[in-house]
Amino acid sequence: MKKNLQKVMSLLCVSAISLSMIAGCGGGNNGGTTTETPAATTEEASTETSTEAADATAEESTEATEETTEETTEETTEETTEAAADGESTPRNETLYEAGQQWGTINDWNPMSANSNNGLALSANESARELVYETLFMFNSLDGKLYPLLGSEYSWNDDQTELTVKLNPDAKWSDGSAFTAEDVAYTYDTHVKYQSSQGADFSTYVDSVEAVDDSTVLIKAKVENGVAVNPLKVTSILNTMYMMQKAYLQTVEERNGEDADKVKQDTMEDLVHTGPYAPYISNDQKAVLQRDDNYWGQADSMWGKLPVPKYIAHTIYKDNAAGQVALSQGEVDVCQQFITDVQNLWLEDNLPISTWLDDAPYGACEVMPSMFFNTEREGLDQKEVRRAIAMAVDYEQIIASAMSGQSPTFAEYPRSVVGPTDGERKYVDFDAIADLQWDNADVDGANKLLDDAGIVDSDGDGIREYNGKNLSFKAECPTGWSDWNASMEIVAAAGEKIGIDIQTYFPEASSFYDDMTTCNFDICMWSTPGAGVMNPYSKGMFYFSEEYAKLASNWSGNFGHYMNDDAEKILEALPAETDEAKLKEYYTELSRILLDECPAVALMYRPTLFYAVNESVWTNYPAADDGRNIPPTDCTDGYGIAALYELELVE
Amino acid sequence: MKNTIKQIFHSGKFLFGFVIFMFILLTVIIYPIFVTADPLQMIGQGNFFKPGTYVSVEESTLEKSYTLQIPKQFSKLEMVLDIDTRANIQDFLIKQAGVAEADIDVTNAEELVALWKANYDPNTKYKGLTTAKRKALKRLDNQITAAMKESGVIIAEKNEEGELKQSKVIKDTDYVNISDVTTKTFLLGTDNFGRDVLTELVAAAKSSLKIGLLAGLIATAIGLLLGLLAGYVGGLVDNIIIFITNLFTVIPSFVILILISYSVGDKARGIAMVGIIIGITSWPWTTRSVRSQVISLRNRDHVNLSKLSGHSMFRIIFTDILPYIASYVVMAMILQISSGILAEAQLSMIGLGPATTKTATLGLMMQWAMQYSAHLNGSWWAYFPVVILIALISFSLNLMNTGMDQVFNPQLRD
Repeated sequence: MKKNLQKVMSLLCVSAISLSMIAGCGGGNNGGTTTETPAATTEEASTETSTEAADATAEESTEATEETTEETTEETTEETTEAAADGESTPRNETLYEAGQQWGTINDWNPMSANSNNGLALSANESARELVYETLFMFNSLDGKLYPLLGSEYSWNDDQTELTVKLNPDAKWSDGSAFTAEDVAYTYDTHVKYQSSQGADFSTYVDSVEAVDDSTVLIKAKVENGVAVNPLKVTSILNTMYMMQKAYLQTVEERNGEDADKVKQDTMEDLVHTGPYAPYISNDQKAVLQRDDNYWGQADSMWGKLPVPKYIAHTIYKDNAAGQVALSQGEVDVCQQFITDVQNLWLEDNLPISTWLDDAPYGACEVMPSMFFNTEREGLDQKEVRRAIAMAVDYEQIIASAMSGQSPTFAEYPRSVVGPTDGERKYVDFDAIADLQWDNADVDGANKLLDDAGIVDSDGDGIREYNGKNLSFKAECPTGWSDWNASMEIVAAAGEKIGIDIQTYFPEASSFYDDMTTCNFDICMWSTPGAGVMNPYSKGMFYFSEEYAKLASNWSGNFGHYMNDDAEKILEALPAETDEAKLKEYYTELSRILLDECPAVALMYRPTLFYAVNESVWTNYPAADDGRNIPPTDCTDGYGIAALYELELVE
Repeated sequence: MKNTIKQIFHSGKFLFGFVIFMFILLTVIIYPIFVTADPLQMIGQGNFFKPGTYVSVEESTLEKSYTLQIPKQFSKLEMVLDIDTRANIQDFLIKQAGVAEADIDVTNAEELVALWKANYDPNTKYKGLTTAKRKALKRLDNQITAAMKESGVIIAEKNEEGELKQSKVIKDTDYVNISDVTTKTFLLGTDNFGRDVLTELVAAAKSSLKIGLLAGLIATAIGLLLGLLAGYVGGLVDNIIIFITNLFTVIPSFVILILISYSVGDKARGIAMVGIIIGITSWPWTTRSVRSQVISLRNRDHVNLSKLSGHSMFRIIFTDILPYIASYVVMAMILQISSGILAEAQLSMIGLGPATTKTATLGLMMQWAMQYSAHLNGSWWAYFPVVILIALISFSLNLMNTGMDQVFNPQLRD
């Protein structure tokens, strides 16, 4: 009996010790003891190989690395995927590998879908992903201009109520038929008919989209009192709406019986598209797009050639760490992931990896991840409380540690409603709002502000009360978003210093989205819109729009339901305003309200997309100093896709 | 009693485990007396600063300097030009600059640099180079330029007109006495928030020990109580208790742990709460083994004698049964403590531990090190000491346990 027990005990001891080692080495998000072992082994294996890879590249034997990486990718895929077994693995020197865009098996190819996870093909932002579907124009975040794609030119009439778009006569669908104005009109009408999120959004500002002739589209803006409601928004249809084929849409409608939910949930695997790439492989291991060699864009009126890589592949990685290992091993060419101390990859590991800029902040920062205060919560409805929290936060610590230095500081770029790009900063008079800026981590100032407002700690528990209740808030953002998690921790630490209890709360992304979109949070974090034709207007909307606040499910901004009539009036006047001086006055006033009232506070600057490239297979990626005016949008988004036509193989 | 303790300490295994454990315990108690800094203070602005002593640069330049004629071990140029760099330069000169291979002597640093300077222009875009390579060459050029400079760094200050005015020249023979300048030593570097890892580690060990102790005590108390009852009373009570115990054994306790921690919510999740949660989910195996021991004791003669004397059930349990299994219970508790510490680490790693800004725990340290991929960046100091410490704690506890077992278990006695 006792002997048995002792055996069990010794077994327990051994497993306890080994588990403790394993728990330390790997494991990550898997709490279960059983799942930890594989994680640990892969981790070990990968570090070994990464050092090997580093050595190999240092000796410039890139070919050897290529071979080994090719072998390893094939090996891993062969085990599990049918595709590889069918001989569908793609040659390394014809494939561009991306990372950080697709995090699961692709569920649909439907641009109208509300719950698509297709990050590889669908991203209908200002800089839309142009690989499979295409928009009429491509946005270039570097110069803020629209470049022709399916459309060749556009023009507003004099009173900004009608937008005429000329289409490229060479444009063709993947089935060979011509792309016409009918398709544009039908795409828009379908979006509106089935109330997709884009359709619902645009129908407030767009009256109609009509085909004048085969290659001319007339977009009529909604007009109130003789003035278009929002011409900026109407323009953005050009670079954010994916074009779909009329005939194909009719098939989809027919097979779903014109049922709105069914149409929006159609997977569209048999899609007809205009873009240079078509779906090729899609499973839980990887997603691959294959070049359409009949792509219309090889016409001289467009690119004049085909994009260089025959395949765009995206391995489905478990987490950031896996993607980062793959990047450093040369298995990934373009990586859209946050990498801690990214400069060490080339400074210390001597890997052929580079980013947009060679020095901090490494990327092209244009958005501001901001924390929103729920102004409907008791305590947070007081501007002193909001401002005190904002003042006490150590932003430089957030930028240096949470963001790993990949953001300019607020000393370099003072706070306002606009981002850190020159194109936006010209709209704000920073001298006029200088007195509203606060010092970094101004704990004394914050304490004084709260004391003066009479919000003090009267029961001696170290936490201030408002209306007799302790000021205690939850700061939330999705779990696993490490830079945001760390930022929220630093905010929580600031709260402690000024007698406001702030707890961090990191739920699963889906429940965070529920909280954020329905205003069921105390403090939450979300990012401003990136560069686009509507900027900095869209950033103003993001912070102040009452319209957004009134939405039942609000994904757009003003999550904390902050209502300010002055700001609302400015937002109404902005879209139609063209006078630069007046615009500057408006944006300065918005910034003044933002800094004074603190409904939301920017925590850092950040690129819309992270961008790190490994040049062990491909080279000639966009870089800040190359003078090519191609934005660092991972060779896939907006005008950044131009990079695909200029890639070269490393000799 | 005294004899037993003596015996225990004669066991080499126990002693070894005890020494390790006491060392950790004493460090946890004594270290904070000397280092009073807040373990959670974010000192370093940046991720994962290397272990070592950091010297105030400003003070170093302002302090009185001493001239030391230390023969230089290497020239700056030689330092920049290691073998790989020379190969890179040669490669560049041949491929991009078109210099004949015969003209290049990689062993002669001076000549190589002269050739480099004559042929490399940082503003030219050389063909056939990747961007990464181009940038690397630019950095190399800057390094070479810096290395070629005459010795001396000029300190200049802005005067009222905003012009720079030279105020001091620092020569390469200038040294400062380290006691004259402010220094800060991070024996184990800093973590991703810029907190001192060593100080944090000690604080974390303290809270982990607290959690482990609390969890161990609770688990053992529950397990012992239920085990004694089930074993001694038997019958229906036994059936019910063993049924519940089996239920808990079948459902993985870690799953229950996660569910309870999740439902408790973040606000209440302090050290004590985590300890309690772990405690109330890890008692079943203690119950089962205590029960089986009690069953074997129940029918011993001395127990029957006690029964005949009309002693109450509690008296019998506490005087006639408990002493016989006490050694076993102590050993079980040691294991419970050790597994409690591990359970905390696991909980924190999936983000269900105590709040990061309120307490430091070993699991939280590992979680953040993982999130900021310290294991990929080679920042071993952020996670390896934590792993070692956890391993040491459970190793020492388990050693003590085996040592005691050898003393108490007659079958193992040699």
